[in-house]
Amino acid sequence: MSPSSELTLVRLPETVALHARPAGAFVRAAASFTATIEVHANGRGANAKSILEILGLGAEGGTELAISASGEDAAEAVAELASLVAGLS
Amino acid sequence: MAFDIVECQVVASVNEDRFVGLVIVSHSAAIADGLAELVAQVAGPDVAIVTAGGGPGGTLGTDGGRVLEALRATDGAGAVVLADLGSSLLSVRAALAELTPHQAERIVLADAPLVEGAIAAGVTASTGASLADVAAAAEEARRVTKL
Repeated sequence: MSPSSELTLVRLPETVALHARPAGAFVRAAASFTATIEVHANGRGANAKSILEILGLGAEGGTELAISASGEDAAEAVAELASLVAGLS
Repeated sequence: MAFDIVECQVVASVNEDRFVGLVIVSHSAAIADGLAELVAQVAGPDVAIVTAGGGPGGTLGTDGGRVLEALRATDGAGAVVLADLGSSLLSVRAALAELTPHQAERIVLADAPLVEGAIAAGVTASTGASLADVAAAAEEARRVTKL
C-alpha cells in the first residue's frame, strides 16, 4: 500500500472542549498510528501526538478541527480521530 | 465466556508492567498532589503516579527520605521523575545514589518544567511508550510555546 495524504474536517460537540481528558484520549488515539498527523483550529496547527500542542489549540466546544495525516495508515488515522472527536462527551 | 475472562486477566497483568510511571517531587505537597490529580485526568488511569511533596511535618521543603521512598515505590516498567526547583532536584539525585544500580537504571530525572513536563510525560506514558520516549516527551515541553 502506498503512503497517502488525507484531510478531514470535524466539529467538536458544542459542550466539549479539546482539553484535559478529551485531549488525552485524542493524543493516545493519534499515537497508535504511524502516520504524521496534524490538527488545525483557530488559526493554529498542532502535532496530534503532542498533548501540549493539542492543549495549545484552545479548541472550545463547537470548534471546527481540520485533521490531516500523511503516511501508510493516514486514511485510518483521520477516520478514527474524526469519529473520536464527533463522539466526545 | 470462560476464554474471555482468561484473556482479560492476561491483559491486565501485562498492562501493569507496560506503562512507565511518574514521580512528582515538589516543595509543596499541595503542588505535587494537585499536579498528580491533573495528570491523572489527562493521562487516564493506567499511569502510576507517586508524589513526594513538602518537607518533614507538612512544611514547605523537601524530605529526602520521602523522595527515596517514592523512587522505591516505582515498578518494573520504570519511571520519569519531575521535580520543581533547586533542592528538590538535589534530593532526587541523592536518593538515586541510594538505589541499587538495577533500580536506578530504570528511573530518569527529566530536565523539564514541572506542570507541562508531567502532562506530556503522563500522556506519552499512557500510550505505552518506552522510558526513554516518556523522558523525551517531558523534556520537549521546554520547547512548546504557550502563546
